Amino acid sequence: MKRRSLLKAAALVCGTAPLTACEDFYSGVSRDWLKQEIPANIGLLCDINIDPVHHLLSRVAYGPWPGDIDEVKKIGIKQWIEQQLAPEKIDDRACDVRARRFETIHMEPGACFEFKKEVLRRDIVRHTVLRATYSKRQLFEVMVSFWTDHININLDKGDCIYLKPSDDRLVIRKNALGKFRDLIRASAVSPAMLVYLDGKDNRKSGPHDVPNENYARELLELHTLGVHGGYSQKDVFEVARCLTGWRLKGEWERGIVYFDPAFHDNGEKYILSKTIPAGGGEKDLDRVLDILTRHPSCAKYISAKLVQKFVANDPPTSLADLCAAEFTRTDGDIKSVLRVLFNSVEFQESKGGKLKRPFHFVVSSLRTLGAETHAHDELIEYLQRLGQAPFQYPTPDGFPEEPGPWLGTLLWRWKFALALTRGLVPSVKVEIDSLAKSICGENKFESSKLISYFLGRSPSDLEMSTLEEFCKSCPSTSPEHKAELLGLILCLPAFQRF
Amino acid sequence: MGEEQSRRAFLNKLVLGAENVVLNPGGQTLVCVFLRGGADTLNMVAPYADPNYYKVRPTIAIPAPGKKPNSGLKLDDFYAFHPKLAPLLPIFHGGELGIVQGVGTDNPTGSHFDAQDQMEHGCAYGTPVNGGWLGRYLRTRINEQLTPLSAVAIGEVIPESFRGSPVTTAIRRIEEIHMDLPPADNDAVCSALSRMYSADAGILKEPGSSTIQLLKRVEKFKSKTYIPEKGAVYGDERFAQGLKEIARLIKAEVGLEVACLDLDGWDTHFFQGGADGIHAALNDQLAKGLAAFYKDLHAYNHRVTTIAITEFGRRIYENGSLGTDHGRAFAFFAMGAGVRGGKIHGHYPGLQDDQYELGPGGMQITTDYRSVLAEILAWRKAPVELIFPGVQVKHSGLIASI
Repeated sequence: MKRRSLLKAAALVCGTAPLTACEDFYSGVSRDWLKQEIPANIGLLCDINIDPVHHLLSRVAYGPWPGDIDEVKKIGIKQWIEQQLAPEKIDDRACDVRARRFETIHMEPGACFEFKKEVLRRDIVRHTVLRATYSKRQLFEVMVSFWTDHININLDKGDCIYLKPSDDRLVIRKNALGKFRDLIRASAVSPAMLVYLDGKDNRKSGPHDVPNENYARELLELHTLGVHGGYSQKDVFEVARCLTGWRLKGEWERGIVYFDPAFHDNGEKYILSKTIPAGGGEKDLDRVLDILTRHPSCAKYISAKLVQKFVANDPPTSLADLCAAEFTRTDGDIKSVLRVLFNSVEFQESKGGKLKRPFHFVVSSLRTLGAETHAHDELIEYLQRLGQAPFQYPTPDGFPEEPGPWLGTLLWRWKFALALTRGLVPSVKVEIDSLAKSICGENKFESSKLISYFLGRSPSDLEMSTLEEFCKSCPSTSPEHKAELLGLILCLPAFQRF
Repeated sequence: MGEEQSRRAFLNKLVLGAENVVLNPGGQTLVCVFLRGGADTLNMVAPYADPNYYKVRPTIAIPAPGKKPNSGLKLDDFYAFHPKLAPLLPIFHGGELGIVQGVGTDNPTGSHFDAQDQMEHGCAYGTPVNGGWLGRYLRTRINEQLTPLSAVAIGEVIPESFRGSPVTTAIRRIEEIHMDLPPADNDAVCSALSRMYSADAGILKEPGSSTIQLLKRVEKFKSKTYIPEKGAVYGDERFAQGLKEIARLIKAEVGLEVACLDLDGWDTHFFQGGADGIHAALNDQLAKGLAAFYKDLHAYNHRVTTIAITEFGRRIYENGSLGTDHGRAFAFFAMGAGVRGGKIHGHYPGLQDDQYELGPGGMQITTDYRSVLAEILAWRKAPVELIFPGVQVKHSGLIASI
């Protein structure tokens, strides 16, 4: 069945059905027709070291969906990486059925102003969580999250909530695996960014006007060169001058960006030892971006950040240098840099050394259990409470990648894990029995096999004895205790890591 | 009854509010409010007697004290509070709220994140130290039977200033500390987690053990409705509610040594307003929150010190979009125990022109932020040379003589 006719059928059914029935239908389409389900048998991982495919799926994806590891083993790691680097060729209908139906995520900024803020927030957040959980284009979703943090926009500032849906679509998603310069160019004139970092009010209309440096500073510091990238405070000021004059229309054309020469500082500027001649007008933006995105600090900074994301919090210099060279060679081609990164020894050898951020923890829990959800408020509330609800980071640096700030979240991780497996997160369903059957076989419930499944390796002696001890006081004969045992596995230190 | 069990029963009784038992009688609490984004303190403690102030800020300056509804509130012959700081005025004139002018870091980057990071670590620019300044302070308190409720951050994340602390907790409300499991299963889950986390060879060992301890201590916490004293009213915003939670912990006598709380949104590049507007609304939140906290803790203020700091002040002049860009020095606020209030301490360097080559323009720094933090810790008899190695403490006058 073609995607369009399928969605049409879905829309037809849902037009007349109550909401929950409608969602049941979407779930049914996704699971039964498009096979996003728990397979009957899941291969056992017996090595004491984390399985390389489990590692790959934990870093390049939000953890394995039941049966994913067997699938990747069939096609091979290298080939799977190539597939992920070409997301447009991956059939993602099972996810589309769940995630495409939120109308505001498809809208232009102007149309978004017709909606209530709660609707806009809910739509974009649910869309993001559902994509991360169910998309087969997992690397793409991981990179969407990476760039969303890199050029962060907080929905709660000004009109950002009306403008972020198109930013998510046309800046982040459109360029997530494209050219770095295109991404930053799109962001620089994105209505949401012009509001978030005050670009729309950066003007020179009189001789005494001084620029608003907000965006210019973050463009240098956070988006392209890094705080130690070798620019001066004078450079910040000069970049801000170059970017004067970009404005947003009002009234009936809200959300439309234009360049207003009357508000532009058209004098000569001097940035990072390069002169930008007077009279450049709106071309100043491109000149600035050429200077910044081709600056050696940019290749270095972006590469180090990617290596930090995918390999280790202290990025190994060898690999960061290699990635930076590839960045420079390909004029900032994100795919090429990632290919070098994923095929490196440093990547392969960095198993289990990073701490999952709360979003990753929640999504990987949902995926590993093959959970059924439409990401309603009750689930989002957990992300909120864990401090990582999408699009809600207040400052332009984005949610931190390093582990330190997240060390206070264990209590809520444990609460979530136990509520999830016990079926107490409203609107999220997990089928423990069928998952256990696929892992352990008919009518069996073996903690060692379950641990291997969730952690991607055979259990340590301590893990084994601890769970055996737990089973003594809470024998896995009752459904409640089974659920607690699985929840407990998700609470283990090893499941917090990836 | 084992020692742990009796202690647990004891703590349960006390967080339940059943009896007024003091765990750490007279224990001092330091409350650190971080105004994130770079607060424009030049409009909070406005130098109305400096004619330059009105020259560089033609639209956003706070009018000199007078009869206009938006006038500044006179602090002395030179400075006036932002009108929205009115709730703090009686505390200032009562001698319990003090300010140091011209405080800052030597950070030249103009970056929020770099400057915040440096301040939270409590170091000089480019010379990293181990852990956060509060983490190092708490390490010196290690013999004081610290519990996870000794160092509390209100919110979801642990601030960098707590890094290296032997204990830390991040919570929004005490009520959330439970696992929702049947009691027998709860014990089994906790003991399994306790075994696994205490054996962790990495960074999860400490937070895991802290969390287990926390669960044990306040398990089955059932709140009585908290009624602030003296008619203090906390607003519904996160900031005010966070202060209320800190007040509860202080009164529960659980040995709270340090609490951290953020008030975000001070990055007012655009249309910040003068006596009204975005910056005014933040002043309003800050002042109402702190004033309610102060009133509620009337019986505890002799052992609670609250400070409010920010990563930098803002540019002295307003920009073309009626806001202010990143600057340098800021005014440091401190209230409560040990504070010599009713006075603006420190040195006012004047409103000089900015020099772009040297760093972002702004008010010149006349006092190193670490010196003021060290004064506050010294008053608590902390070995400041261990916490801020190499810092020459210059007494600003903010803290009563030690």
